[in-house]
Amino acid sequence: MLEARDLRKSFGALTVTNRVSLEVARGERRVLLGPNGAGKTTLFNLLVGELRADGGQILIDGRDVTGLSVDARARLGLARSYQKNNLFGGLTVRENLSLAAACAQGRARTPWADSLSDRGVAEAVDEVAQRVGLTELLEVPVDTVPYGARRRLEVGLALAARPRVLLMDEPTSGIGPGGIHAFHALLRGLPAELTIVIVEHDMDLAFEVADRVTVLNYGEVVFDGPPREARDSALVREIYLGTWDGDA
Amino acid sequence: MFHQTPLKTATVLLLAGLAVAYGLSTGFFGLELLTEVAILAILAIALDLVAGYGGMISLCHGALYGVGAYAFGSATVLLGWGAPAGLAMAVGGGALFAWAIGAVTARTHGIFFIMATLAFGQMAYAYLFESPVFGGNDGLPGVPRLDASALGLDLNDSLTFALTCLALALLAYAVSAALLRSGFGRTLVGIRANEARMRVLGLPVWRHKAAAFGVSGALAGLAGALAAQHTMYISPGLLHWTVSGELLIMVILGGLGTLVGAALGAGVLVFLKHEVSRFTDHWHLVVGLVLIAAVLAGGRGLYGQLEHLWERRRAARRAPPETPAPDEETTGHA
Repeated sequence: MLEARDLRKSFGALTVTNRVSLEVARGERRVLLGPNGAGKTTLFNLLVGELRADGGQILIDGRDVTGLSVDARARLGLARSYQKNNLFGGLTVRENLSLAAACAQGRARTPWADSLSDRGVAEAVDEVAQRVGLTELLEVPVDTVPYGARRRLEVGLALAARPRVLLMDEPTSGIGPGGIHAFHALLRGLPAELTIVIVEHDMDLAFEVADRVTVLNYGEVVFDGPPREARDSALVREIYLGTWDGDA
Repeated sequence: MFHQTPLKTATVLLLAGLAVAYGLSTGFFGLELLTEVAILAILAIALDLVAGYGGMISLCHGALYGVGAYAFGSATVLLGWGAPAGLAMAVGGGALFAWAIGAVTARTHGIFFIMATLAFGQMAYAYLFESPVFGGNDGLPGVPRLDASALGLDLNDSLTFALTCLALALLAYAVSAALLRSGFGRTLVGIRANEARMRVLGLPVWRHKAAAFGVSGALAGLAGALAAQHTMYISPGLLHWTVSGELLIMVILGGLGTLVGAALGAGVLVFLKHEVSRFTDHWHLVVGLVLIAAVLAGGRGLYGQLEHLWERRRAARRAPPETPAPDEETTGHA
């Protein structure tokens, strides 16, 4: 469904993505792990087209999208949420979700009908709002809703885009155990055919939801396998916890 | 996002009513002022559409206005076409020129967008200033007015022409309001709020911005055609960047991103200019002070401030909304 082949990206002398290859099957839940600075967000940026790769290929459903723009890739069903909230400030939660739903349903450019009151868009907004627990806050401006609700809206925007492949960059960052529990439930309720790649630091969540785990370090894939193997891997533990060199 | 609120509707009706009453009770000079206000209101609405709702602060709307005037003047004076064809040329020419500017500048933002639009506008101004075909600096005299005798209207009559311009200003408002309430308009506001996110949601942003600029250019072209018929003479001065600058002042004074405020700003600025210039040649100074006061007062502009006070009053009347329960999930920062 989503494939990266030998992807490379450098900023000057700093290589942030070093020959990364990744193959995510339809309906798979893939978790990307790695310490800060491992290149996880950069990989997402490359996959959606917000950054241009120096080399390598990106394929969606076997189609090479490496040269396509961000919006063209999105129209092929690739959506993402951000580590830091990237919402439509000054608008209500409903208006935020409507913008995403209207884009997905081809209502974003119609000059004769209101996308806010369009039945299909409104139904999609209500459905997504219910899914991410924002029904009560639909009419509230996003700048005034609590942080946790904004994180859920961040994911809601991506869901309202009706993706086939969903990239979620640390969706639980900054929220407490209650929020993480709710996010678990949200993930479990998503359609089985939806392909999901999640960058996540919460190990319990990562190992519970993942069909497969990919670990990045210094821009390279250092592990790719089932979650059980990742949990038992000394290399993964070392990358996350570090090692103490007693001789140093 | 744009909502045609009761306050907005009331303000539009009040302004239209005041304008009609003023037109019916004033003499020739007053009608000239009223016509100028109506034409500039169309132009200000055109600018607010892209600047207030799309975040595209343009310094080339004077040029779009001028292109409309020259398209009308060229069609009627140089080519000898009828005024309806001239009107179509003005609207189409304004739209096409604006779309081209929008398509080229859509990928720029902030100061770079402003400078790019300024450059396009000044290029058009310089071309017409130097062009002997279009009369160069002397411009083109003898521009005719539309023959609306089939409708029983004599547009050479000042009152009829003023009221026609007023009706077209209302039409421009209605078209803009309808567009802003459509999917197209909602998306335009989304682009202003977060262009990058709109792109990630699958919108070809530059195409949308260029189209919005094209619509705005069509309205500016209409205003230009009316201006050409109003004075029956056109000159490159219409395209000068100072016209764009003054337009921006009107929109900010009335309330950027309020639509009706743009028309209000046009009226206030024209009347302020004429009233103050009766007492002093330094009317620019007074206009400048008023603009500074408007910006320092919160930047909402006249209508924006009215709306703000109205909303505050309504909020105070309502029972305090239930405070959302503290977010038990919150540990991070906004």
